[in-house]
Amino acid sequence: MLTVVLFFLCFSLLLYVLLGGADFGAGIIELFSSKTNQDITKKTIYRVMGPVWEANHIWVIILIVILWIAFPQYYKIMVTSLHIPLTLMLLGITLRGVAFVFRHYDAYEDKSQYVYNWMFRTSSLFTPILLGMVFGGMVSSKIVLLEDATNPNFYALYIAPWFNLFSFLVGIFFASLCAFLSAVLLIGEADEEGYAVYVRKASIATIVVVVIGFITISYGYFSNVPFVQGIVSNTTSIVLILLSGICLLPLWFSVRKGSSIISRSLAGLQVLLIIAVAIIPHFPNILMLEGGSLSILEGKAPDAVIKVLGISLIIGGSVIIPGLIHLLKSFKLIKILERK
Amino acid sequence: MDNLDAARLQMAFTLIFHIVFACIGMVMPFFMIVAHKKWLNTGDPIYLKLTKTWQKGVAIFFVTGAVSGTALSFELGLLWPGFMEHAGPIIGMPFSLEGAAFFVEAVALGFYLYGWKNLSPKFHWFTGVIVGIAGVSSGILVVAANGWMNAPSGFDYINGEFTNIDPIKALLNPAWFTQALHMTLAAFTATGFAVAGIHAFQILRGKHIELHKKAFKIAITFGAIAAILQPISGDISAKDVAVRQPVKLAAMEAHYETDKGVPLYIGGIVDAEKKEVNYKIEIPNALSFLAFGDFNAEVKGLNDFPEDEIPNVAIVHYAFQIMVSLGGLMMLAGIFFFFTNWKKKQWMDKRLFWKLFAFLAPAGFIALEAGWIVTEVGRQPWIIHKIMRTKDAVTPMPGIVYSFYMYVAVYTLLTITVTWLMIRQIKALNETKI
Repeated sequence: MLTVVLFFLCFSLLLYVLLGGADFGAGIIELFSSKTNQDITKKTIYRVMGPVWEANHIWVIILIVILWIAFPQYYKIMVTSLHIPLTLMLLGITLRGVAFVFRHYDAYEDKSQYVYNWMFRTSSLFTPILLGMVFGGMVSSKIVLLEDATNPNFYALYIAPWFNLFSFLVGIFFASLCAFLSAVLLIGEADEEGYAVYVRKASIATIVVVVIGFITISYGYFSNVPFVQGIVSNTTSIVLILLSGICLLPLWFSVRKGSSIISRSLAGLQVLLIIAVAIIPHFPNILMLEGGSLSILEGKAPDAVIKVLGISLIIGGSVIIPGLIHLLKSFKLIKILERK
Repeated sequence: MDNLDAARLQMAFTLIFHIVFACIGMVMPFFMIVAHKKWLNTGDPIYLKLTKTWQKGVAIFFVTGAVSGTALSFELGLLWPGFMEHAGPIIGMPFSLEGAAFFVEAVALGFYLYGWKNLSPKFHWFTGVIVGIAGVSSGILVVAANGWMNAPSGFDYINGEFTNIDPIKALLNPAWFTQALHMTLAAFTATGFAVAGIHAFQILRGKHIELHKKAFKIAITFGAIAAILQPISGDISAKDVAVRQPVKLAAMEAHYETDKGVPLYIGGIVDAEKKEVNYKIEIPNALSFLAFGDFNAEVKGLNDFPEDEIPNVAIVHYAFQIMVSLGGLMMLAGIFFFFTNWKKKQWMDKRLFWKLFAFLAPAGFIALEAGWIVTEVGRQPWIIHKIMRTKDAVTPMPGIVYSFYMYVAVYTLLTITVTWLMIRQIKALNETKI
């Protein structure tokens, strides 16, 4: 059952990055668009994301609930050491969520739209940066446990783990990944006026993601971040990185050609590869502490709990996932499914 | 302010907000589908207009409920890591099921909000029913987690270790049924009276009277039935608390001396120093009867509990008084509504009738918040009753007070905005022709 639980943990992480990520990215694209394109994007994402908007973000709740039920000790360290970026991230999630609804359900369209738009766009950028910084904090080997601390001061315990250049780079990388996913998704959804816009945005985003990814890895490697060094010295992850590099070429051409099916599948594949590269070399030691690492399985919940959780996840998954797919189909959200 | 107080205030503050948003998001879909059904049956465009107006309300409240709920799911760990480390695996069951129910609700709401053109009318209406059922289910499930804190079960606690964990037994803890029943009825009462009150106010203002009357009737019917049933559920809860958490019952009643044939205090000012209640009204033997069904039963007083296991008596007592009195008032108003509707329809032409219900609009939510204060403050100093103290669960990170201030600022702003948006919705409704 532990395998089932770990599978759902990775599965919800993947879906949150893909769906939630594309959702955040839509706001980032709006932020970096001209006035006319902003209006096009606003209309498109309302149609594309509107019905599934909530569902996209529930994956993070599933993720966090699995963590605290099955891996309580791991979860405790995360929420204690990374309290501050998590709280700021929640602020971002809250403001972004309400702004999205307010701007579509306000009874009047007047000047308050500026505020909603501004709130939606800026929080769309900051939230994924913080989310990336949380992950960066988990792997940058700066976490010091209270009981191990030789000099337990506020900075060392609660700021240093996430407030560093490497975490920040991971944050920027994640935000650009979101923008990339969103641009690729929107190519297939746009009507004629938007089509060219998203092809251009997706091309730019692809370049940005690759460049920032390269900078992050190099910075991590040269400043001796053990997480990155582990990746670079692991054969599997090297193979995966090479594979991802090779896939960039067809991705680039399919984006330029605006072929939505191929570019979406390849973009999804890239995300899958990125997550695999991040997790595989160290698994199950996903939390990197100062001078060591912690296995996610350390202090995991008793087998009885894992078993019940595994069964609930299987049952829950078999109800929710078909419903979600039906929802996507009903609204032709995946237009390509209809275009044969 | 020390860290523990700041963490408790932040938790209380976020919960107080979340409860309002969540209750409306969970009950309003029912009003919406009744109006929708009436439109399908009669073809009366007023019902369609009403359905679409309420639908916007549902969307706005669902999202504010969802984001504040997301924040809460993190805050549990951010503020109480010591609690979550041990309790997480035990009470994971209700949370994971709640997550699933919430997911179903979100998917169904996606169908409902965006399905007016694409879906068959029957299926479309049915997705609205699913929204309501899934919403209430997630409410009931999340109360199970709170019930467990009051009535911990499904594990053995040996030498400070939680062993033999049985998550299903923890889910089916003895406090769950009484709390979930009381909370569900409270959600319907509060939302019913609030929505009915807003429409009553619009009737007083003389705008679209026919529409607002139809809206009022749907909302108040739900609210009144729940308000009339609530005292029964309250009685079940009181008898349950009397056995499981006698100290909470004693605090609710500000009952200090252990005695037989104990009177019930109504109102009164608690003097915690002198351990007495001044200016109260006494009903002889009533507390013994209400708690144990026997006029001469012994009720343990606060003085017989250890000092460090007693909650803040004044807060619990006052909150309890507020809850019961407003609950009683709404029950009477509910009966009054049914009587008027049955025998004296002409009273509905009087302004006083509408003034009464407009006045009662906030009563349900005040009572509901007061009720949660009773159960949460009444549980202190325990975060897990008799197992773990709240102070041992709080995060070691100092400076929580700043995070508390941030939440106060953001949620206050959010409330003002949502209220303003609702006013604009009503204004837009009143400006349109039906």
